Amino acid sequence: MSSIIKVNNLVKQYEHAKEPSVKGISFDVKEGEFFAFLGPNGAGKTTTISILTTTLAKTSGELQIAGFDIDKQAKEIREQVGIIFQKPSLDQSLSAEENIRFHACLYGMYPYRPSFKMMPKAYQKSVLELAEILGIKDSLFKPIKKMSGGMQRKLEIIRSLIHTPKVLFLDEPTQGLDAVSRRSLWQYLEQVRAKYGTTIFLTTHYIDEAEKVDKVCIINNGSIAYTGTPDEMKRNLLRQELIIDAVDRDSLLAEVKDLGLPYQLDQQLVIPFYQKSPQEIIQKIKTELSVLKVVEPTLEDAYVAYIHKNGGITA
Amino acid sequence: MSEAVLYRKRIKSGLLRELNAMVTIAARDIILYFKSPGNIAMGLFMPIIMMGMLGGSLSQNMASGLGFNYDQFMLIGMLVNMLFMTTTTGVASLVEDRITDFTQEMLVSPISRYAIVSGKIIGSSFGAMVSMIGTLVIGAIMGISITLHQTLLIFLLAPLMCMSAGALAMVVIGLIRSNKMANMAVMLISMPQMFLSGAIIPINHSSGVLFYLSRLMPMTYCLDLVRAVVYKGYEGYDTVVMFNPVINLIAIIGLTLSLLVIGTYFYVRSEKNR
Repeated sequence: MSSIIKVNNLVKQYEHAKEPSVKGISFDVKEGEFFAFLGPNGAGKTTTISILTTTLAKTSGELQIAGFDIDKQAKEIREQVGIIFQKPSLDQSLSAEENIRFHACLYGMYPYRPSFKMMPKAYQKSVLELAEILGIKDSLFKPIKKMSGGMQRKLEIIRSLIHTPKVLFLDEPTQGLDAVSRRSLWQYLEQVRAKYGTTIFLTTHYIDEAEKVDKVCIINNGSIAYTGTPDEMKRNLLRQELIIDAVDRDSLLAEVKDLGLPYQLDQQLVIPFYQKSPQEIIQKIKTELSVLKVVEPTLEDAYVAYIHKNGGITA
Repeated sequence: MSEAVLYRKRIKSGLLRELNAMVTIAARDIILYFKSPGNIAMGLFMPIIMMGMLGGSLSQNMASGLGFNYDQFMLIGMLVNMLFMTTTTGVASLVEDRITDFTQEMLVSPISRYAIVSGKIIGSSFGAMVSMIGTLVIGAIMGISITLHQTLLIFLLAPLMCMSAGALAMVVIGLIRSNKMANMAVMLISMPQMFLSGAIIPINHSSGVLFYLSRLMPMTYCLDLVRAVVYKGYEGYDTVVMFNPVINLIAIIGLTLSLLVIGTYFYVRSEKNR
């Protein structure tokens, strides 16, 4: 797979800031990849996204998206990307449909017409179908200010996808959404990704949302701190554990010692496993177990461990 | 999900896409105009204040002994002044767009920054045209009228004047980041022009700094061009009109284009270079 985003030695120094917000970061994102760009508040995530989407000038460095150079072909890059901003960027005075129409016409998808009914049939169909999928069809012609935060976020998603971007930047897309809305949003984005191979560049504070990504990149204090798959990150930073206990704990302990398994005795017996699978370990234990749990660390556990290991939040 | 959902059908021609984007941005401002009671109220009351009160008072107290029809002179001044003032106010709403983060939506779209700025100015011109009609109505109520032919000529020139006003406003608005400052900027742009460009006071005898300032203001040439059109063939043309209409036209186009380039540069720079 070729890289759709190439970032080389990117630096951003804000005016009047003592030190750069982004300090020479480099990374690449493959075509069709689901890429999570994680980091604490103020680490440089939004700054990086703003530069990638051409709304903020970089101080130095090289950047290419879909083969276009940001210095010479910013307009071409803007054609290829869609973005959901951290702060909603809808016009609160317009209706939901007017916001979508504004976006579609701005991107040259359709010639502008003063009403929904006068717009081309293809546009009408697209909007109604997307609204149906995301459950906002009933609110489509109502003013935005009367919609809930979740519905407004869904509307932003419809808007960002209407021009079929190759790369979709999601800057904290589920901020302020309830669990049901978050889930339906991710289901829909999964559908889009599976069907059209859209590359997704995500920043989020909900680390569990990055659990299914292809690659994780952690930025801390303006520098890239870690890059790898979520599984690599979990393996490198945290151990997988088997938690067991028995009514006859002494017998269980003796058996574990005989098998030469490393263990830790807290309230229950914690056995980390590396080479052996949990099944291999369990098969060898004869004592009747009263507790059996396999603990797989989450990406959030790994992320928090990483941040702590590296001196906490330095941003 | 059907194929129609992600069906690509872009407008192929680059120029048409830019024009379509300009129309879209302008249309948004027109929709917002009708949705805002404040804008409609301003469109109705400003002509009453400017033409009815200020203009009426000046007419009653200053009109005699000038050697030309002051009422008509002042009506033209107020018409052009309303166009400039309302367009400037409309362009100032870019600051509001920036505060509500709507600017980002426009800036990430694949269109020229000139299309964004021009679309904004065209949209703002709509409110200006409404105010101009209001001013004509108030003028008619005050007994100051111009012929239908003159009215049509003014309407034909109005878009050029709005563009000029918007371009001037962009130079200042592009640098501003708060609503409070934007409101002050509208006054700082509008007031000097009203007094120095000859909207309500003849400036044929201006000298010194005031002379140079009047010559730098696009509204001076806009007013003079409109007066040249209205007064053509009428008594007082030589007293009222200062420049050849061709010179006015060249000055307006030159100043508008220069200001548009500078204003757009400031606007984009303040958005991108933080």
